[in-house]
Amino acid sequence: MATGILPANIAIIAVPVFTLLLGLLIGYLAQRSGYCSIGGFRDYTLFRHTRLLSGYLTLIFAAFAGYLLFWFLVPSSMEHFFWPLTSNPFSPVPGAPGGLNTAAYILFAIIPGFLVGFITVLLGGCPIRQTVMASEGSYKSAWFFIGMCIGSIIFALLVSGWVVTLMKSLGFGA
Amino acid sequence: MSIQILTGLIKERLSVLARHPAFLGLLIGLLAAFSQALLISAGGPEAYGFCVACHTRDLVNGMSNIVADTSLALAPISKNAILPVMSVVGVLIGAFVASRFNKEHKIKRADTRTYIIYFLSGVLVLNLAMIFGGCPYRAALRTGYGDITALLFIVTMAIGVITGTLLMLKRAEKEEV
Repeated sequence: MATGILPANIAIIAVPVFTLLLGLLIGYLAQRSGYCSIGGFRDYTLFRHTRLLSGYLTLIFAAFAGYLLFWFLVPSSMEHFFWPLTSNPFSPVPGAPGGLNTAAYILFAIIPGFLVGFITVLLGGCPIRQTVMASEGSYKSAWFFIGMCIGSIIFALLVSGWVVTLMKSLGFGA
Repeated sequence: MSIQILTGLIKERLSVLARHPAFLGLLIGLLAAFSQALLISAGGPEAYGFCVACHTRDLVNGMSNIVADTSLALAPISKNAILPVMSVVGVLIGAFVASRFNKEHKIKRADTRTYIIYFLSGVLVLNLAMIFGGCPYRAALRTGYGDITALLFIVTMAIGVITGTLLMLKRAEKEEV
């Protein structure tokens, strides 16, 4: 069990407070900068604009720098950093439906990756951009956000079970 | 007088910085790592500092579990905490305040067909993102953490975006002719 700066009994109270503040800051700046991960790749393809793309690429490197920094400062909170050195390099950081083998997780990255990119570019923005546009007063983005909320219940009740059953029946079980 | 010029210059620079996406990228990366260092005792998973899809899932399912006494699946950090992660609420409020404060708030309506398409796309995108285990932002955080499958996700996402962009371009050219 990883331990962070705050002990568990304080951390469980700090979780909503800290993430709310983090979200407020990100939401404010995302509205100001028009931050969008999908838009970066789109603008580069269309106009060779690198402004938005720089935001997303900076995020990847800043995440590495941040995790490295806090791995030095609070090693106990970064139990599996750097992932390929502490775990199977092709297994994902937990988050996807569990109990499948490596090939399944590679498929889980490739197929949703392509579809998420394809669908969101046609809608005009990645999930955070849609959320920000919903706050700016766009009704269609608000419906996208409502779709995400309903979708999360559908995922928990149906889709996660279906996906695991399907992959296991295709021989991708761990 | 010179102090006024100096503060004016600082203000201008700060406002330019605040409007640059790379600054926000840097901020999200560092704060997501700090968030993990601070809060990981409450529960995993790792590289979970900021994610629109997962945090929406945690918020909706966590609130549903509290209010309606259901037992929908969610990440351990939200399950153990008194309330689920609130970053999506923060993004909504922060973006609303920013757009109001800078007079960019504007109601934009569309027809019912567009609403239905966006609603179904929302359902689909969230489910696809959750099958992978994160939206583009968590994919970036996971890549920074060293996860190769997340890098694959970003590469295929870029291919998907380029395909979609070229499709839009072709459709626009057809309409022009």
